[in-house]
Amino acid sequence: MTRQEVLEQTKKVIYDCFPDMKELDLQEDSVINTDTAIDSMGFVLVICKLEALFDVRIPERQWQKLQTLGDVVDAICKRLK
Amino acid sequence: MWRCPVRFDSFEHLLSHFALSTPDAPALRYEGTTLSFAALFQTVQKRAEELRKGGKSCLGVLCDGSLENVIEIFAASLAGLQIVLLDASLEADVLKTLIRYTDVDLLWGDEELCDELSLALMAGVKDGRGKILFFTSGTTERAKAVVLTDRSLCQSAWNGSAKLPLSPDDTLLCLLPLGHVFGFVCGLLWGLSCGACVALGRGARHYLDDCDFYRPTAVSVVPLLLGFLLKQKCINPELKLVLVGAGDCPPALLQAAGALGIRVSFGYGLTETSSGVAISVSGDPYAMEVCPDDTITLAEDGEILIEAPSCMMQGYYKRPDATRAVLRHGVFHTGDLGRFDEEGKLHITGRKKDILVLPDGTKIFLPEYESALMQALGHTELAVTLRGERPLLVYSGEGDREKLREKLGELMRTLPRGQQIADILITDEPLPRTATGKIKRWELQQKVSDKT
Repeated sequence: MTRQEVLEQTKKVIYDCFPDMKELDLQEDSVINTDTAIDSMGFVLVICKLEALFDVRIPERQWQKLQTLGDVVDAICKRLK
Repeated sequence: MWRCPVRFDSFEHLLSHFALSTPDAPALRYEGTTLSFAALFQTVQKRAEELRKGGKSCLGVLCDGSLENVIEIFAASLAGLQIVLLDASLEADVLKTLIRYTDVDLLWGDEELCDELSLALMAGVKDGRGKILFFTSGTTERAKAVVLTDRSLCQSAWNGSAKLPLSPDDTLLCLLPLGHVFGFVCGLLWGLSCGACVALGRGARHYLDDCDFYRPTAVSVVPLLLGFLLKQKCINPELKLVLVGAGDCPPALLQAAGALGIRVSFGYGLTETSSGVAISVSGDPYAMEVCPDDTITLAEDGEILIEAPSCMMQGYYKRPDATRAVLRHGVFHTGDLGRFDEEGKLHITGRKKDILVLPDGTKIFLPEYESALMQALGHTELAVTLRGERPLLVYSGEGDREKLREKLGELMRTLPRGQQIADILITDEPLPRTATGKIKRWELQQKVSDKT
């Protein structure tokens, strides 16, 4: 799976969880792990769905370090089997 | 109703009591493993013996909430080590600072992280027996290590159980971090000291399915987590009691929980008092009864003052001045504001430390002020602090300074000149917040100073 495919599927998961965010047209450098975008519990929800979708496990210790959409995509790509 | 019959003096007292009285009853569940009280005590004793032989004196625990994590804490206590509970999600540099500050000479937790932190290990302590250190991140000051003891924590669990008992048939789900005193006492000790089974949550990635997996009858949560569980509809039908602490809970959440037949109680307490000192048990959940071991009075300005001889901290680690500032003649000055209703129940009304004092002597009560700003701007991620001697609005997110000023115009005109927002700082960084969502005022002030 290419990085672009991971990016598109990640965006789809975010939009499914938070339909209001479709208006924002998320980019790789969009900060998403913040209360102005997705609050901490919402971010948990997104990561859980992404882990299940891509069959990866991102250590919880890393979660709060993932700030932008690109950070999340990097974390997934690094662990893809 | 069944009531916790024993006031435990130590973890060893608690574990040995149930290992003798109900040896086969389930004590802890984690993933697919269940430990009875007898097995738990035996495992803890065995590990304590290993720790004794190791010759170390201060254990830093990188908390992950696992079964081994709980066993390690109990074992270190039995072995007479000072215990420092650390949040494993903190940056390594921060953890190293905390390790040096608290004299940790042995680490437990993720192997890779322990290796990374090992250079920060210190020489240990001489008088650590019974001490358990929790870090408190006050909203206005640097984090401090609060010195509690296994005795004060057990007494606190009894104190809460006296108002809100569980039965040995209950299963308490522990979702909160053990490194926070609310999680440790109300997520773990509350259940064990009542002889109930404690199901240890499997981490944030299982918030969605832990209720279905463990089928708990009670759970302790912070408001944000309760909102999440309700919104995602992941509460099991057996759940009958939710204890909410560490933050304000919106009425809408109460209604949603009530609709599911769940009783919600609020707890009020601080790390310095080994967790709860007041709890709501019936009727209005915002009206809390004072726990039996505690005496609560109000200062002239409404500040809540607590006497809790059995549960009070020994002090802030190596910070006698900070201790004296809040603990005077056995009375803890909380910095929180409250009132008593006609039935003598305590209501929390605000936080004294959320006040900005301006050079002209006037004060800004930040929650109220920020709420008005949020309403005027239609944006919630903002905070007010001082730049120099004038109020500065810190606006997290995208915005245009002039447009924000226009929107604020009407509100500002209603305020005395000194209280009006002097400048606006727009930032794409999130506001610094504690785990429970409170703004870290001190850190915000630092960030603003750094940018000036």
